[in-house]
Amino acid sequence: MGNSSVAKQLVDAIISDFPDHEPGTRPVHTIGVGVEGYFVASEVARTYCIAEHFNGERIRASVRFSNGSGSPVQHDGRSDVRGMATRFHLKNDAATDLIAMTLSEFFVRTVEEFLDFTKASLPKPVQKESPWRKLLDMLQLKLPLPDPMPGQTMGADAGMLDYANRHAFAQLGISQAATIGAPTSYARASYHAVHTFIVTAPDGTRRPVRFSWQPVAGVHVTGPNEPPRDNYLQQELRERLRQWPARFMLMMTIGEAGDALDDPTRPWSDRRVRVVMGTLTLTKVAADQAAASEHISFNPCRLLPGIEVSGDPILQARRDAYEVSRELRHATACPFNRS
Amino acid sequence: MPSNEGWLDRFVDGLPSNPLFMFLARRVLVPYWAWRTPVTPQPGGPRVSIQPGDNVQCMMNLIMPLKDKSPIGRANAAMAISQYKDEIYAGLDNVGTVHFARFVIVDDNICMFSVYDGDFTNYIRDFITTIGSVFNAVVELVEEGEAVIPCEQNVEAFIEWVHARDMYQVPDLATDILKDQKGDKAGSSPDDLRKLPREVVLQLRANPNVSLGGGYRAYPGYSAAQVRQKFGVGW
Repeated sequence: MGNSSVAKQLVDAIISDFPDHEPGTRPVHTIGVGVEGYFVASEVARTYCIAEHFNGERIRASVRFSNGSGSPVQHDGRSDVRGMATRFHLKNDAATDLIAMTLSEFFVRTVEEFLDFTKASLPKPVQKESPWRKLLDMLQLKLPLPDPMPGQTMGADAGMLDYANRHAFAQLGISQAATIGAPTSYARASYHAVHTFIVTAPDGTRRPVRFSWQPVAGVHVTGPNEPPRDNYLQQELRERLRQWPARFMLMMTIGEAGDALDDPTRPWSDRRVRVVMGTLTLTKVAADQAAASEHISFNPCRLLPGIEVSGDPILQARRDAYEVSRELRHATACPFNRS
Repeated sequence: MPSNEGWLDRFVDGLPSNPLFMFLARRVLVPYWAWRTPVTPQPGGPRVSIQPGDNVQCMMNLIMPLKDKSPIGRANAAMAISQYKDEIYAGLDNVGTVHFARFVIVDDNICMFSVYDGDFTNYIRDFITTIGSVFNAVVELVEEGEAVIPCEQNVEAFIEWVHARDMYQVPDLATDILKDQKGDKAGSSPDDLRKLPREVVLQLRANPNVSLGGGYRAYPGYSAAQVRQKFGVGW
């Protein structure tokens, strides 16, 4: 099966998980907001990676924050993964992207597992667990199933839980996704690029690395007992940036032999060498949201000399899947840089 | 959404904060499940790993119950430590692999918390060589300490004794506690994720004193020797 066929299958599988998906919109991370800013690499960044955006010059950046769901209905307050896609605008109309999310690892390791996982995640009617069933869970010191959110009639939680209970590799991602909560601000969450990339230093040393954005404002989620609000994240960001820029530190963790280089379900130990690669400063919500949020198309494999993809099969599959998604929604093409 | 909650829903939802239910959980449910699904106490200290980053800045969190559980007993422990300050500092300098070390008294326990590089048994061996006399003085005040002093003559037993009092380091990743519990059966079928709270409760029953996660490090991956060399502060 060709790459484009696999990519189409992946996109179709994702779309099937969101019955109310609107053609012409992103299959996931549908609701989002585009922001403008700039990135300045740290003094040490260039000693680890020769890529242009780590040379210390001020680089214009476009960022799209998003909710993880592929539904066109906005539910900011629901417990959900959030996305932060960043485009670094380079010289000569070149660009490179870094796509990150609030989950620090992915659910599956391969394309085949991903297709199985999307089948398991097909939404099913949700019902509140009966009080007797809950009581039985409590007597077993088990977590009762979460109550459906207000207005929620369909959900994927039960299918995902069942998948996790059959596949140990998925347990970490699914358990964290189940408890991830909702951020009080897009600028107050950590975002992880999840996959391993290979960076090249000026002396030719090649290192496996993973990137994360750490918010300078700190991480903050809404209280678990607060009633969820459907629409506050974009307005909060507008108000925040009107007063003061929001900043994120780009952290790069260097893997060691023995770390899961090609497996995005396994995070690396916090005891790996961690380097501050630079600071992203967000200055304003883009005026033209159609261009900055809807038509812009990111790709985790849009890289440049100095950064390469690892052997992670999910990362490699994302390259074509993002292109299929872009074509389906007639989004703006952005040429790859010699990759 | 119109609420369709009845009184039974509200009652059951409120059980986790109901004092009577919590009493029942502590006195009946937890002992029952500990009997039905026994959990083995986990060993203390860092996990065995061959990866370089896992073998620097390791933590030791030693909890040693004092024999004399009174202010006098605590004062004796405090005096023993202060009396040997020079020996301790000189010993730590000589060991050369220690980032931080401190003694703490919590309730009726004398605790030693330290961050060191390298293998745990070699770390304790180095200590026996350099400050064995201090360990002897402190361990003498501790329950079941007599059996392993003088430590210079009971090296292996002393290392085991210390290891047994080093806190279990709960994994950073919640689901890894399930792997710890499975031990050699780690490759077997996965557990029901909804049982994770019970497994955590039962593990903390088996290991009442634990270190939560591996802890934050500002400069992970570097040894004390590398830090000293980089800052040009010698040895």
